[in-house]
Amino acid sequence: MRYSTVCCRNVLGEKQYRLAVFRMLPFLKSISTHMDYKGQKLAEQIFQGIILVSAVIGFIYGFITEQFGWTVYIVLAGFAVSCLLTLPPWPMYRRNPLKWQSVQSEISAPEMIIKEKPVENTKKSKKHK
Amino acid sequence: MNTVLSRANSLFAFSLSVMAALTFGCFVTTAFKDRTVPVDIQVSRVMLKNVDDFTGPKERSDLGFITFDVTADLRPIFDWNVKQLFLYLSAEYETKNNALNQVVLWDKIILRGENTNLSLKDMKSKYFFFDDGNGLRGNKNITLTLSWNVVPNAGILPLVMGSGHTSVPFPDAYEATKSY
Repeated sequence: MRYSTVCCRNVLGEKQYRLAVFRMLPFLKSISTHMDYKGQKLAEQIFQGIILVSAVIGFIYGFITEQFGWTVYIVLAGFAVSCLLTLPPWPMYRRNPLKWQSVQSEISAPEMIIKEKPVENTKKSKKHK
Repeated sequence: MNTVLSRANSLFAFSLSVMAALTFGCFVTTAFKDRTVPVDIQVSRVMLKNVDDFTGPKERSDLGFITFDVTADLRPIFDWNVKQLFLYLSAEYETKNNALNQVVLWDKIILRGENTNLSLKDMKSKYFFFDDGNGLRGNKNITLTLSWNVVPNAGILPLVMGSGHTSVPFPDAYEATKSY
């Protein structure tokens, strides 16, 4: 799993966006672009396959017509096609969602620390006496 | 690969690596090709003057004027890894002062797609044919050769000499022209 550089959590556990574009255009935050793990693997295989195939076709075509420019154009076309196929989160990438555990009632982390501290103070004061 | 940006990053980096591999492949397919073609040079007129050369030491130097014809078919050199050719005509001779003198008289750039059949008549030299001293007068042997620099899309720039050269003698007196 790769570390996300788009958003992270600050000290209090709140989700924070690192990229300025999300602070400038807040509606972008609501577009969900996640894929599940099998979907990510499928997306990676698809784009690698498309680009390799377009590279081979481009190399052969450029060699035959003696113009390297055509090789570059064909690879760029392969890049555009794989962008269309793998960048948006199509439904085929979401067919194996993760099975999360059911929600349990839990105390949030800051509350637990505050609750423990008073107990420690009383223990300390007793020792000093 | 969970977010769009992560996928886009991955995709772009992969495309660039593939593009680099293709460029290397392009270089490898043409790296060992022989780039010489036969060249025909004819000289129609030679003239000699003795003038002050302001770029050199303060004495009069020989200045030559050559009118020449060049014929060459450069079509076999162009392949998918050649962007342009830089042609130049150079004169090579020996004098009392120096064992080897080489002077570039004329050059031309030929881009891919332009007419590759070179057939130029009665061309005058572009650059001054100054000698380092007075070595041109009565010089028996001045060799003119056409060479070119191949500018590739990917790889090394080879410097190739055309096969075929012409030797002409220069006149013995100044301001005297010799016609061939």
